[in-house]
Amino acid sequence: MSSGTRVKISGAALTPYNRRKDNSSFRDWACSAFNDALYKSGLEHRDIDALYVASESDFFTLQLNPASVIASDIGIEGVSTTRIEGGGASGQLAIHAATRAIQSGYVKHAAVIGVDPSASMLNSDTIKKLYSFSFDAWTDGMTGVSATVLYALSFQSFLQRTRVEEKQLASVAIQNRANALHNPNAHLGREHTVDEVKESPLIAAPYRRLHCSPLSDGAAAAILSRSDSIPSNRKNAATIIGIGGASDAMHLGAREDPGHFRAKETAMNRACAEARITPDQIGVAEVYDAYAGAQLQAIDALSLSDDLLNDLQTERFAPTGQCPINLSGGLLGQGAPTGATGVGQTASIALMLEGDYVPALQPRTIPRYGLADTHGGVCTTSAVTLMEKSVSV
Amino acid sequence: MSNYTLKLDYQLAPGWLQPYTEGLSQGRAVSWCCSTCERTSFPPVRTCTCGQTTGTWVALAGTARVIHYTCGQDGEFALAQFEGADTATVVKLCHNTATNLSYQVGTSANLTGSLQASGSAKPELVLRLDPIGKTS
Ligand SMILES: [Zn+2]
Repeated sequence: MSSGTRVKISGAALTPYNRRKDNSSFRDWACSAFNDALYKSGLEHRDIDALYVASESDFFTLQLNPASVIASDIGIEGVSTTRIEGGGASGQLAIHAATRAIQSGYVKHAAVIGVDPSASMLNSDTIKKLYSFSFDAWTDGMTGVSATVLYALSFQSFLQRTRVEEKQLASVAIQNRANALHNPNAHLGREHTVDEVKESPLIAAPYRRLHCSPLSDGAAAAILSRSDSIPSNRKNAATIIGIGGASDAMHLGAREDPGHFRAKETAMNRACAEARITPDQIGVAEVYDAYAGAQLQAIDALSLSDDLLNDLQTERFAPTGQCPINLSGGLLGQGAPTGATGVGQTASIALMLEGDYVPALQPRTIPRYGLADTHGGVCTTSAVTLMEKSVSV
Repeated sequence: MSNYTLKLDYQLAPGWLQPYTEGLSQGRAVSWCCSTCERTSFPPVRTCTCGQTTGTWVALAGTARVIHYTCGQDGEFALAQFEGADTATVVKLCHNTATNLSYQVGTSANLTGSLQASGSAKPELVLRLDPIGKTS
Protein backbone atom coordinates (compact mmCIF):
# COMPACT_ATOMS: atom_id res chain seq x y z
CA MET A 1 0.00 0.00 0.00
CA SER A 2 1.08 3.55 -0.62
CA SER A 3 2.11 4.45 2.93
CA GLY A 4 4.36 1.40 3.31
CA THR A 5 2.60 0.21 6.48
CA ARG A 6 0.98 -3.18 6.03
CA VAL A 7 -2.35 -3.79 7.78
CA LYS A 8 -3.42 -7.29 8.75
CA ILE A 9 -6.79 -8.60 9.85
CA SER A 10 -5.65 -10.23 13.07
CA GLY A 11 -9.16 -11.06 14.26
CA ALA A 12 -12.53 -11.55 12.53
CA ALA A 13 -15.91 -12.79 13.74
CA LEU A 14 -19.61 -12.60 12.93
CA THR A 15 -22.63 -13.30 15.10
CA PRO A 16 -25.57 -15.06 13.47
CA TYR A 17 -27.62 -12.74 11.23
CA ASN A 18 -31.33 -13.38 11.82
CA ARG A 19 -34.31 -12.00 13.72
CA ARG A 20 -33.50 -12.38 17.42
CA LYS A 21 -36.30 -13.64 19.60
CA ASP A 22 -34.17 -14.11 22.73
CA ASN A 23 -34.56 -10.63 24.28
CA SER A 24 -30.93 -9.78 23.43
CA SER A 25 -29.98 -6.25 22.28
CA PHE A 26 -27.64 -4.85 19.65
CA ARG A 27 -25.15 -4.10 22.43
CA ASP A 28 -25.06 -7.81 23.31
CA TRP A 29 -24.34 -8.73 19.68
CA ALA A 30 -21.59 -6.08 19.43
CA CYS A 31 -19.92 -7.51 22.58
CA SER A 32 -20.17 -11.06 21.28
CA ALA A 33 -18.63 -10.26 17.87
CA PHE A 34 -15.85 -8.19 19.47
CA ASN A 35 -14.98 -10.84 22.06
CA ASP A 36 -14.72 -13.54 19.38
CA ALA A 37 -12.60 -11.35 17.08
CA LEU A 38 -10.31 -10.29 19.93
CA TYR A 39 -9.86 -13.92 21.01
CA LYS A 40 -8.89 -14.90 17.46
CA SER A 41 -6.39 -12.00 17.25
CA GLY A 42 -4.43 -13.22 20.29
CA LEU A 43 -4.43 -9.65 21.59
CA GLU A 44 -5.65 -8.24 24.92
CA HIS A 45 -8.17 -5.46 25.54
CA ARG A 46 -5.33 -3.12 26.52
CA ASP A 47 -3.70 -3.57 23.10
CA ILE A 48 -6.58 -1.85 21.28
CA ASP A 49 -5.86 1.82 20.50
CA ALA A 50 -9.01 2.86 18.64
CA LEU A 51 -12.59 1.74 18.10
CA TYR A 52 -14.65 2.33 14.95
CA VAL A 53 -18.35 1.49 15.15
CA ALA A 54 -20.47 1.27 12.00
CA SER A 55 -24.20 1.70 12.57
CA GLU A 56 -26.62 3.14 10.06
CA SER A 57 -29.59 4.56 11.88
CA ASP A 58 -30.30 6.03 15.30
CA PHE A 59 -33.97 5.34 14.57
CA PHE A 60 -33.26 1.61 14.75
CA THR A 61 -30.96 1.58 17.81
CA LEU A 62 -32.33 4.68 19.59
CA GLN A 63 -28.73 5.25 20.63
CA LEU A 64 -26.77 8.27 19.45
CA ASN A 65 -22.99 8.16 19.89
CA PRO A 66 -23.00 4.34 19.98
CA ALA A 67 -19.21 4.03 19.77
CA SER A 68 -18.69 5.50 23.24
CA VAL A 69 -21.34 3.22 24.73
CA ILE A 70 -19.93 0.12 23.06
CA ALA A 71 -16.36 1.03 24.13
CA SER A 72 -17.56 0.90 27.75
CA ASP A 73 -19.53 -2.29 27.18
CA ILE A 74 -16.55 -4.16 25.71
CA GLY A 75 -14.09 -2.86 28.28
CA ILE A 76 -11.82 -0.61 26.22
CA GLU A 77 -12.88 2.71 27.78
CA GLY A 78 -10.23 5.36 27.22
CA VAL A 79 -9.50 4.55 23.56
CA SER A 80 -10.38 6.89 20.70
CA THR A 81 -13.95 6.14 19.58
CA THR A 82 -15.62 7.05 16.27
CA ARG A 83 -18.99 6.18 14.79
CA ILE A 84 -19.00 5.76 11.00
CA GLU A 85 -22.17 6.13 8.91
CA GLY A 86 -22.46 5.93 5.15
CA GLY A 87 -25.76 4.10 4.60
CA GLY A 88 -25.26 0.52 3.44
CA ALA A 89 -21.52 1.18 3.07
CA SER A 90 -21.06 2.05 6.77
CA GLY A 91 -19.23 -1.17 7.71
CA GLN A 92 -16.72 -1.06 4.86
CA LEU A 93 -16.11 2.66 5.45
CA ALA A 94 -15.27 1.80 9.07
CA ILE A 95 -12.74 -0.80 7.83
CA HIS A 96 -11.23 1.92 5.62
CA ALA A 97 -11.04 4.45 8.46
CA ALA A 98 -9.29 1.92 10.71
CA THR A 99 -6.89 0.95 7.91
CA ARG A 100 -5.86 4.56 7.32
CA ALA A 101 -5.53 5.17 11.08
CA ILE A 102 -3.02 2.33 11.34
CA GLN A 103 -1.17 3.54 8.24
CA SER A 104 -0.92 7.00 9.81
CA GLY A 105 1.36 5.51 12.43
CA TYR A 106 -0.72 6.62 15.42
CA VAL A 107 -2.62 3.36 15.89
CA LYS A 108 -1.23 -0.17 16.19
CA HIS A 109 -4.42 -2.14 16.68
CA ALA A 110 -7.94 -0.92 15.84
CA ALA A 111 -11.22 -2.67 16.58
CA VAL A 112 -13.99 -2.32 14.01
CA ILE A 113 -17.52 -3.30 15.01
CA GLY A 114 -20.51 -3.19 12.69
CA VAL A 115 -23.94 -3.62 14.23
CA ASP A 116 -27.59 -2.88 13.52
CA PRO A 117 -30.94 -4.19 14.62
CA SER A 118 -33.59 -4.79 11.98
CA ALA A 119 -36.11 -2.82 14.08
CA SER A 120 -38.65 -5.42 13.03
CA MET A 121 -41.04 -4.16 15.73
CA LEU A 122 -41.66 -1.01 13.64
CA ASN A 123 -44.32 -1.32 10.97
CA SER A 124 -43.09 -1.91 7.44
CA ASP A 125 -44.26 1.50 6.16
CA THR A 126 -42.22 3.26 8.85
CA ILE A 127 -39.13 1.21 8.01
CA LYS A 128 -39.61 1.90 4.30
CA LYS A 129 -39.93 5.63 5.03
CA LEU A 130 -36.82 5.71 7.21
CA TYR A 131 -34.78 3.91 4.56
CA SER A 132 -36.09 6.24 1.84
CA PHE A 133 -34.30 9.07 3.66
CA SER A 134 -30.96 7.40 2.92
CA PHE A 135 -31.44 8.70 -0.64
CA ASP A 136 -32.03 12.46 -1.23
CA ALA A 137 -34.69 13.06 1.44
CA TRP A 138 -35.98 16.19 -0.34
CA THR A 139 -36.61 14.55 -3.68
CA ASP A 140 -36.74 10.74 -3.47
CA GLY A 141 -37.60 10.49 0.24
CA MET A 142 -40.48 12.99 0.34
CA THR A 143 -41.89 11.51 -2.88
CA GLY A 144 -42.27 8.21 -1.08
CA VAL A 145 -39.79 6.22 -3.14
CA SER A 146 -38.64 2.94 -1.55
CA ALA A 147 -35.16 1.47 -1.89
CA THR A 148 -36.64 -1.34 -3.99
CA VAL A 149 -38.17 1.17 -6.43
CA LEU A 150 -34.85 2.98 -6.93
CA TYR A 151 -32.90 -0.26 -7.36
CA ALA A 152 -35.56 -1.54 -9.80
CA LEU A 153 -35.31 1.59 -11.97
CA SER A 154 -31.52 1.41 -11.95
CA PHE A 155 -31.57 -2.29 -12.85
CA GLN A 156 -33.95 -1.67 -15.76
CA SER A 157 -31.37 0.64 -17.26
CA PHE A 158 -28.73 -2.09 -16.78
CA LEU A 159 -31.08 -4.65 -18.42
CA GLN A 160 -31.34 -2.54 -21.56
CA ARG A 161 -27.57 -2.66 -21.97
CA THR A 162 -26.92 -6.27 -21.00
CA ARG A 163 -30.06 -8.23 -21.92
CA VAL A 164 -29.93 -10.34 -18.76
CA GLU A 165 -32.92 -12.70 -18.66
CA GLU A 166 -35.39 -13.37 -15.84
CA LYS A 167 -33.93 -16.85 -15.35
CA GLN A 168 -30.42 -15.41 -14.86
CA LEU A 169 -31.71 -12.81 -12.42
CA ALA A 170 -33.43 -15.56 -10.42
CA SER A 171 -30.22 -17.65 -10.48
CA VAL A 172 -28.45 -15.02 -8.35
CA ALA A 173 -31.00 -15.33 -5.54
CA ILE A 174 -31.07 -19.11 -5.90
CA GLN A 175 -27.26 -19.45 -5.73
CA ASN A 176 -26.79 -17.08 -2.79
CA ARG A 177 -29.54 -18.68 -0.71
CA ALA A 178 -28.18 -22.15 -1.57
CA ASN A 179 -24.75 -21.03 -0.30
CA ALA A 180 -26.44 -19.73 2.85
CA LEU A 181 -27.83 -23.20 3.55
CA HIS A 182 -24.27 -24.23 4.49
CA ASN A 183 -23.63 -21.12 6.62
CA PRO A 184 -24.82 -21.67 10.20
CA ASN A 185 -24.87 -17.88 10.77
CA ALA A 186 -27.18 -17.20 7.81
CA HIS A 187 -30.66 -15.70 8.01
CA LEU A 188 -32.18 -17.15 4.83
CA GLY A 189 -30.58 -20.41 3.72
CA ARG A 190 -33.19 -21.75 1.27
CA GLU A 191 -33.65 -23.95 -1.77
CA HIS A 192 -35.58 -21.99 -4.38
CA THR A 193 -36.67 -22.86 -7.91
CA VAL A 194 -36.82 -20.32 -10.73
CA ASP A 195 -40.61 -20.64 -10.67
CA GLU A 196 -40.79 -19.88 -6.95
CA VAL A 197 -38.80 -16.70 -7.52
CA LYS A 198 -40.96 -15.74 -10.53
CA GLU A 199 -44.16 -16.34 -8.58
CA SER A 200 -43.18 -14.45 -5.42
CA PRO A 201 -45.02 -11.13 -4.86
CA LEU A 202 -44.06 -8.22 -7.11
CA ILE A 203 -42.53 -5.41 -5.03
CA ALA A 204 -41.21 -3.08 -7.76
CA ALA A 205 -40.92 -4.62 -11.22
CA PRO A 206 -38.83 -6.51 -12.08
CA TYR A 207 -38.04 -7.14 -8.41
CA ARG A 208 -40.11 -9.71 -6.57
CA ARG A 209 -39.92 -10.59 -2.89
CA LEU A 210 -37.31 -13.31 -3.44
CA HIS A 211 -35.00 -10.93 -5.36
CA CYS A 212 -34.74 -8.76 -2.21
CA SER A 213 -32.44 -9.11 0.81
CA PRO A 214 -33.97 -9.24 4.30
CA LEU A 215 -33.33 -6.83 7.16
CA SER A 216 -31.54 -8.74 9.90
CA ASP A 217 -30.29 -8.41 13.46
CA GLY A 218 -26.59 -8.99 13.92
CA ALA A 219 -23.02 -7.80 14.37
CA ALA A 220 -19.57 -8.41 12.94
CA ALA A 221 -16.13 -7.40 14.17
CA ALA A 222 -12.59 -7.21 12.87
CA ILE A 223 -9.35 -6.39 14.64
CA LEU A 224 -6.91 -4.61 12.31
CA SER A 225 -3.23 -4.60 13.24
CA ARG A 226 0.08 -3.23 12.00
CA SER A 227 1.81 -6.24 10.50
CA ASP A 228 4.95 -5.65 12.60
CA SER A 229 2.86 -5.67 15.81
CA ILE A 230 0.77 -8.78 15.22
CA PRO A 231 1.17 -11.74 17.64
CA SER A 232 3.59 -14.37 16.33
CA ASN A 233 0.86 -17.03 16.12
CA ARG A 234 -1.20 -14.81 13.79
CA LYS A 235 1.29 -14.46 10.94
CA ASN A 236 -1.11 -16.29 8.63
CA ALA A 237 -3.69 -13.48 8.94
CA ALA A 238 -4.77 -11.92 5.64
CA THR A 239 -3.37 -8.52 4.63
CA ILE A 240 -5.35 -5.53 3.38
CA ILE A 241 -3.49 -4.58 0.19
CA GLY A 242 -5.73 -1.87 -1.23
CA ILE A 243 -8.80 0.13 -0.37
CA GLY A 244 -10.84 2.46 -2.54
CA GLY A 245 -13.81 4.71 -1.99
CA ALA A 246 -15.85 6.84 -4.38
CA SER A 247 -19.22 8.54 -4.78
CA ASP A 248 -21.70 9.23 -7.57
CA ALA A 249 -24.43 11.82 -8.28
CA MET A 250 -27.08 11.51 -5.54
CA HIS A 251 -29.94 11.58 -8.07
CA LEU A 252 -30.30 8.48 -10.24
CA GLY A 253 -31.63 10.70 -13.03
CA ALA A 254 -28.54 12.92 -12.98
CA ARG A 255 -26.29 9.99 -13.90
CA GLU A 256 -25.22 9.46 -17.49
CA ASP A 257 -26.17 5.77 -17.22
CA PRO A 258 -28.47 5.14 -14.22
CA GLY A 259 -27.78 1.41 -14.56
CA HIS A 260 -24.02 1.68 -14.18
CA PHE A 261 -22.48 1.73 -10.70
CA ARG A 262 -19.84 4.30 -11.60
CA ALA A 263 -18.76 4.91 -7.99
CA LYS A 264 -18.04 1.19 -7.63
CA GLU A 265 -15.94 1.19 -10.79
CA THR A 266 -13.94 4.16 -9.52
CA ALA A 267 -13.52 2.67 -6.02
CA MET A 268 -12.33 -0.61 -7.56
CA ASN A 269 -9.83 1.19 -9.81
CA ARG A 270 -8.46 3.04 -6.79
CA ALA A 271 -8.19 -0.13 -4.71
CA CYS A 272 -6.52 -2.05 -7.55
CA ALA A 273 -4.03 0.79 -8.16
CA GLU A 274 -3.10 0.76 -4.48
CA ALA A 275 -2.82 -3.05 -4.40
CA ARG A 276 -1.07 -3.19 -7.78
CA ILE A 277 -3.32 -5.98 -8.99
CA THR A 278 -6.00 -6.26 -11.69
CA PRO A 279 -9.64 -7.40 -11.26
CA ASP A 280 -8.99 -10.69 -13.11
CA GLN A 281 -6.64 -11.75 -10.30
CA ILE A 282 -9.46 -11.78 -7.72
CA GLY A 283 -10.22 -15.39 -6.71
CA VAL A 284 -13.08 -14.90 -4.23
CA ALA A 285 -15.47 -12.01 -3.57
CA GLU A 286 -18.24 -10.86 -1.28
CA VAL A 287 -20.23 -8.26 -3.24
CA TYR A 288 -23.15 -6.04 -2.25
CA ASP A 289 -26.28 -7.90 -3.33
CA ALA A 290 -29.04 -5.90 -1.64
CA TYR A 291 -31.06 -7.05 -4.69
CA ALA A 292 -30.34 -9.88 -7.11
CA GLY A 293 -29.78 -7.45 -9.98
CA ALA A 294 -27.42 -5.33 -7.89
CA GLN A 295 -25.04 -8.31 -7.74
CA LEU A 296 -24.93 -8.40 -11.56
CA GLN A 297 -24.42 -4.62 -11.70
CA ALA A 298 -21.60 -5.03 -9.16
CA ILE A 299 -19.87 -7.79 -11.15
CA ASP A 300 -19.99 -5.48 -14.16
CA ALA A 301 -18.73 -2.36 -12.35
CA LEU A 302 -15.98 -4.26 -10.52
CA SER A 303 -14.78 -5.69 -13.88
CA LEU A 304 -15.00 -9.24 -12.49
CA SER A 305 -16.28 -10.39 -15.88
CA ASP A 306 -15.52 -9.60 -19.52
CA ASP A 307 -18.64 -11.44 -20.67
CA LEU A 308 -21.36 -11.45 -18.00
CA LEU A 309 -23.90 -13.68 -19.76
CA ASN A 310 -21.27 -16.29 -20.61
CA ASP A 311 -19.78 -16.23 -17.11
CA LEU A 312 -23.24 -16.76 -15.59
CA GLN A 313 -23.81 -19.64 -18.00
CA THR A 314 -20.47 -21.31 -17.17
CA GLU A 315 -20.94 -20.73 -13.41
CA ARG A 316 -17.75 -18.74 -12.97
CA PHE A 317 -19.19 -17.25 -9.76
CA ALA A 318 -20.58 -20.49 -8.28
CA PRO A 319 -18.82 -22.11 -5.27
CA THR A 320 -16.67 -24.29 -7.55
CA GLY A 321 -16.13 -21.58 -10.18
CA GLN A 322 -12.99 -19.53 -10.83
CA CYS A 323 -14.22 -16.62 -8.71
CA PRO A 324 -16.89 -17.67 -6.20
CA ILE A 325 -19.12 -14.76 -5.24
CA ASN A 326 -21.03 -14.49 -1.97
CA LEU A 327 -20.09 -17.88 -0.56
CA SER A 328 -21.50 -16.57 2.73
CA GLY A 329 -24.90 -16.25 1.07
CA GLY A 330 -24.44 -12.50 0.64
CA LEU A 331 -27.08 -10.06 1.81
CA LEU A 332 -29.72 -12.15 0.03
CA GLY A 333 -28.90 -15.33 1.95
CA GLN A 334 -26.73 -14.53 4.95
CA GLY A 335 -28.82 -11.45 5.70
CA ALA A 336 -28.27 -7.74 6.19
CA PRO A 337 -27.84 -6.02 9.56
CA THR A 338 -26.80 -2.83 7.76
CA GLY A 339 -23.88 -1.57 9.87
CA ALA A 340 -22.51 -5.11 10.17
CA THR A 341 -22.65 -5.88 6.45
CA GLY A 342 -19.35 -4.41 5.26
CA VAL A 343 -17.44 -5.54 8.35
CA GLY A 344 -18.89 -9.04 7.94
CA GLN A 345 -17.95 -9.18 4.25
CA THR A 346 -14.34 -8.25 5.02
CA ALA A 347 -14.23 -10.61 8.03
CA SER A 348 -15.55 -13.46 5.86
CA ILE A 349 -13.00 -12.93 3.07
CA ALA A 350 -10.19 -12.65 5.65
CA LEU A 351 -11.23 -15.99 7.17
CA MET A 352 -11.46 -17.61 3.71
CA LEU A 353 -7.94 -16.40 2.85
CA GLU A 354 -6.69 -17.99 6.08
CA GLY A 355 -8.50 -21.24 5.35
CA ASP A 356 -10.56 -20.78 8.51
CA TYR A 357 -14.04 -20.09 7.12
CA VAL A 358 -17.16 -22.25 7.58
CA PRO A 359 -15.83 -25.71 6.53
CA ALA A 360 -18.61 -26.47 4.03
CA LEU A 361 -17.98 -23.16 2.24
CA GLN A 362 -14.20 -22.78 2.62
CA PRO A 363 -12.55 -22.77 -0.86
CA ARG A 364 -10.43 -25.96 -1.14
CA THR A 365 -7.67 -24.13 -2.98
CA ILE A 366 -7.22 -20.83 -1.23
CA PRO A 367 -7.01 -18.01 -3.77
CA ARG A 368 -4.29 -15.39 -3.40
CA TYR A 369 -6.59 -12.36 -3.58
CA GLY A 370 -10.08 -11.63 -2.23
CA LEU A 371 -12.46 -8.68 -2.50
CA ALA A 372 -15.13 -7.16 -0.26
CA ASP A 373 -17.49 -4.66 -1.90
CA THR A 374 -20.11 -2.56 -0.12
CA HIS A 375 -22.18 0.46 -1.08
CA GLY A 376 -24.75 2.90 0.25
CA GLY A 377 -27.66 4.50 -1.62
CA VAL A 378 -28.04 3.10 -5.13
CA CYS A 379 -24.25 2.91 -5.20
CA THR A 380 -24.01 6.58 -4.31
CA THR A 381 -21.22 5.78 -1.82
CA SER A 382 -18.93 2.88 -2.66
CA ALA A 383 -16.18 1.17 -0.63
CA VAL A 384 -13.98 -1.65 -1.93
CA THR A 385 -11.36 -3.59 0.06
CA LEU A 386 -8.77 -5.95 -1.46
CA MET A 387 -7.03 -8.59 0.64
CA GLU A 388 -4.16 -11.04 0.11
CA LYS A 389 -3.51 -14.31 1.84
CA SER A 390 -0.35 -14.61 3.90
CA VAL A 391 2.65 -16.31 2.32
CA SER A 392 2.58 -18.72 5.26
CA VAL A 393 -0.90 -20.05 4.34
CA MET B 1 -39.10 -6.27 25.94
CA SER B 2 -39.69 -2.62 26.90
CA ASN B 3 -42.34 -0.66 25.04
CA TYR B 4 -41.38 2.82 23.93
CA THR B 5 -43.22 5.21 21.62
CA LEU B 6 -41.58 8.17 19.92
CA LYS B 7 -43.73 10.67 18.05
CA LEU B 8 -41.88 13.24 15.96
CA ASP B 9 -43.30 16.32 14.19
CA TYR B 10 -40.75 18.03 12.01
CA GLN B 11 -40.82 21.47 10.42
CA LEU B 12 -38.09 21.27 7.82
CA ALA B 13 -36.60 24.37 6.20
CA PRO B 14 -36.04 23.88 2.47
CA GLY B 15 -33.20 26.44 2.34
CA TRP B 16 -31.80 26.90 -1.16
CA LEU B 17 -34.43 24.46 -2.49
CA GLN B 18 -37.36 26.77 -1.60
CA PRO B 19 -38.24 27.82 -5.21
CA TYR B 20 -38.29 24.14 -6.16
CA THR B 21 -40.47 23.01 -3.22
CA GLU B 22 -42.88 25.94 -3.65
CA GLY B 23 -43.15 25.06 -7.33
CA LEU B 24 -44.06 21.47 -6.55
CA SER B 25 -46.87 22.47 -4.21
CA GLN B 26 -48.32 24.62 -7.05
CA GLY B 27 -47.71 22.07 -9.82
CA ARG B 28 -44.83 24.00 -11.41
CA ALA B 29 -41.55 22.27 -12.33
CA VAL B 30 -38.93 24.79 -11.22
CA SER B 31 -35.45 23.81 -12.43
CA TRP B 32 -31.98 25.27 -11.94
CA CYS B 33 -30.11 26.51 -15.01
CA CYS B 34 -26.33 26.91 -14.76
CA SER B 35 -25.06 30.39 -15.68
CA THR B 36 -21.98 28.98 -17.45
CA CYS B 37 -23.02 25.89 -19.43
CA GLU B 38 -26.83 26.24 -19.21
CA ARG B 39 -27.19 22.66 -18.00
CA THR B 40 -30.70 22.52 -16.57
CA SER B 41 -31.26 20.20 -13.65
CA PHE B 42 -34.63 19.03 -12.35
CA PRO B 43 -34.62 18.33 -9.46
CA PRO B 44 -32.15 21.19 -9.06
CA VAL B 45 -28.50 20.46 -8.33
CA ARG B 46 -26.78 23.29 -6.48
CA THR B 47 -23.32 22.86 -8.00
CA CYS B 48 -23.33 22.15 -11.74
CA THR B 49 -21.21 19.33 -13.20
CA CYS B 50 -19.08 22.14 -14.73
CA GLY B 51 -18.35 23.44 -11.21
CA GLN B 52 -20.44 26.61 -11.44
CA THR B 53 -22.60 27.53 -8.43
CA THR B 54 -24.47 30.48 -9.89
CA GLY B 55 -27.52 30.15 -12.11
CA THR B 56 -31.19 31.00 -12.39
CA TRP B 57 -34.47 29.35 -11.44
CA VAL B 58 -36.41 28.45 -14.57
CA ALA B 59 -39.97 27.11 -14.67
CA LEU B 60 -40.26 24.23 -17.15
CA ALA B 61 -43.41 23.41 -19.11
CA GLY B 62 -44.13 20.59 -16.64
CA THR B 63 -44.50 17.79 -19.16
CA ALA B 64 -42.31 14.71 -18.97
CA ARG B 65 -41.42 11.50 -20.80
CA VAL B 66 -41.09 8.22 -18.91
CA ILE B 67 -37.73 6.48 -19.38
CA HIS B 68 -38.23 3.51 -17.03
CA TYR B 69 -41.42 2.38 -15.32
CA THR B 70 -41.98 0.19 -12.26
CA CYS B 71 -44.97 -1.00 -10.28
CA GLY B 72 -45.74 -3.45 -7.48
CA GLN B 73 -46.49 -3.46 -3.76
CA ASP B 74 -44.28 -0.38 -3.29
CA GLY B 75 -46.42 1.67 -5.71
CA GLU B 76 -46.11 3.01 -9.22
CA PHE B 77 -43.00 5.06 -10.02
CA ALA B 78 -40.86 6.03 -12.99
CA LEU B 79 -37.61 7.59 -14.00
CA ALA B 80 -38.79 10.48 -16.17
CA GLN B 81 -37.27 13.41 -17.99
CA PHE B 82 -39.07 16.76 -17.96
CA GLU B 83 -39.16 18.76 -21.16
CA GLY B 84 -36.35 21.33 -21.06
CA ALA B 85 -34.31 19.48 -18.39
CA ASP B 86 -30.95 17.85 -19.03
CA THR B 87 -31.37 15.44 -16.11
CA ALA B 88 -34.07 12.88 -15.33
CA THR B 89 -35.88 12.36 -12.03
CA VAL B 90 -37.72 9.69 -10.09
CA VAL B 91 -41.46 10.46 -9.91
CA LYS B 92 -44.49 8.90 -8.29
CA LEU B 93 -47.16 8.17 -10.89
CA CYS B 94 -50.87 8.70 -10.88
CA HIS B 95 -53.35 8.21 -13.70
CA ASN B 96 -57.05 8.07 -14.28
CA THR B 97 -57.34 4.34 -14.91
CA ALA B 98 -57.79 2.27 -11.77
CA THR B 99 -55.23 -0.45 -12.44
CA ASN B 100 -51.46 -0.44 -12.78
CA LEU B 101 -50.01 -0.60 -16.26
CA SER B 102 -48.59 -4.03 -16.99
CA TYR B 103 -44.83 -4.05 -16.72
CA GLN B 104 -42.74 -4.74 -19.80
CA VAL B 105 -39.12 -3.75 -20.18
CA GLY B 106 -38.56 -1.22 -22.93
CA THR B 107 -42.19 -0.27 -23.49
CA SER B 108 -42.38 2.59 -21.02
CA ALA B 109 -40.70 5.06 -23.37
CA ASN B 110 -44.13 5.80 -24.88
CA LEU B 111 -45.57 7.10 -21.61
CA THR B 112 -45.86 10.84 -21.03
CA GLY B 113 -47.45 12.98 -18.36
CA SER B 114 -47.47 16.28 -16.56
CA LEU B 115 -46.53 17.43 -13.07
CA GLN B 116 -49.34 17.25 -10.56
CA ALA B 117 -49.56 19.88 -7.82
CA SER B 118 -48.82 18.23 -4.48
CA GLY B 119 -51.15 20.72 -2.79
CA SER B 120 -49.10 20.64 0.42
CA ALA B 121 -45.78 21.89 1.67
CA LYS B 122 -44.40 18.36 1.31
CA PRO B 123 -42.20 18.32 -1.81
CA GLU B 124 -43.73 15.34 -3.57
CA LEU B 125 -42.84 14.73 -7.23
CA VAL B 126 -46.00 13.33 -8.80
CA LEU B 127 -46.52 12.83 -12.52
CA ARG B 128 -50.07 12.42 -13.84
CA LEU B 129 -49.83 10.13 -16.85
CA ASP B 130 -51.49 11.06 -20.11
CA PRO B 131 -53.91 8.50 -21.51
CA ILE B 132 -51.86 5.83 -23.28
CA GLY B 133 -51.32 6.67 -26.93
CA LYS B 134 -51.16 10.42 -26.41
CA THR B 135 -47.74 11.95 -27.12
CA SER B 136 -46.63 15.32 -25.86
ZN1 LIG C 1 -22.60 24.24 -15.71
